[in-house]
Amino acid sequence: MTPTGGSAVHAALAGDAVLAEHYAAFRASTEAALDPALVALVRQGVAAVHGLESAPDESGLDEGTRDCLAYARRMPFEHTAIEDAEAAGVVAHLGEAGFVAFSVLAALADAECRAALVDLPGLAGS
Amino acid sequence: MSTIPRVSSAVPGEPAHFGSVLAHQPEIAASFFALYGRFWQSEVLSARIKEVARMRNARVTQCGFCRNVRFDKAVAQGLGEDAVDDIADGYETSGRLTPAEKAVLKFTDALIHDPELLTGDAKAALQRHLTPAQIAELGLGVTLFLALAKALITMGLEPETMDRTVLPTPAVLEAAE
Repeated sequence: MTPTGGSAVHAALAGDAVLAEHYAAFRASTEAALDPALVALVRQGVAAVHGLESAPDESGLDEGTRDCLAYARRMPFEHTAIEDAEAAGVVAHLGEAGFVAFSVLAALADAECRAALVDLPGLAGS
Repeated sequence: MSTIPRVSSAVPGEPAHFGSVLAHQPEIAASFFALYGRFWQSEVLSARIKEVARMRNARVTQCGFCRNVRFDKAVAQGLGEDAVDDIADGYETSGRLTPAEKAVLKFTDALIHDPELLTGDAKAALQRHLTPAQIAELGLGVTLFLALAKALITMGLEPETMDRTVLPTPAVLEAAE
């Protein structure tokens, strides 16, 4: 299994350079739209929910960032239960454009962890 | 689950939907649609098989938009509503879905719901029916279907009501490259 969920899909696409390149570009564009520290927190927080990494250290985080992290942690198993007020809190912290990138990032981080958990690269012979 | 958009449209005159909201992030939108078009355009795995997995994801994630959309290439490859109706719990006993499609559904359930579902038998069935390249493409597809559905739902972009809608299968827009 890929150690972190992040590269499981890309690793599985080792035999298809075109799709691998486009997948990497999509992932990179999502990450580039947000603060790198927040990207790392979201990825680690989601991976921790899946048991793939330890929980991130929240000491020193401002309230808005903690709210974002809490929101991201709900993506794996509680995405339909997220309330309007929680989303509004993230929008207030990141702005609308930031919220869009954040939503894609958190959802993709969850899906990538799941791809790692089924050992997608192993199934694909990569 | 909210059906009230949590983010506004970035396209003047258009309501908030996935495309108009993603327009807040043009680079993400461009890279996503380039990837998604290439994925659907690839013939390593048939559009019918991809659509079977997409429909299963739509049902499990409760994505109403995804559940009501059909892509025309899969319809042309014989994926009718009777078979789509069978992409529900108990699909293992369907007489309309092929053994390969049932193996794909089990993999889809494992990725989007519970990895423990990919037991030895299920894994063997998947690898019997699909080549490694097809499994890689399927894994990419299910990853994107899942992420897209969850992003759409959490941004409040679920329609209150929606009729079944056949759409052109996503394609690569060369001019946008």
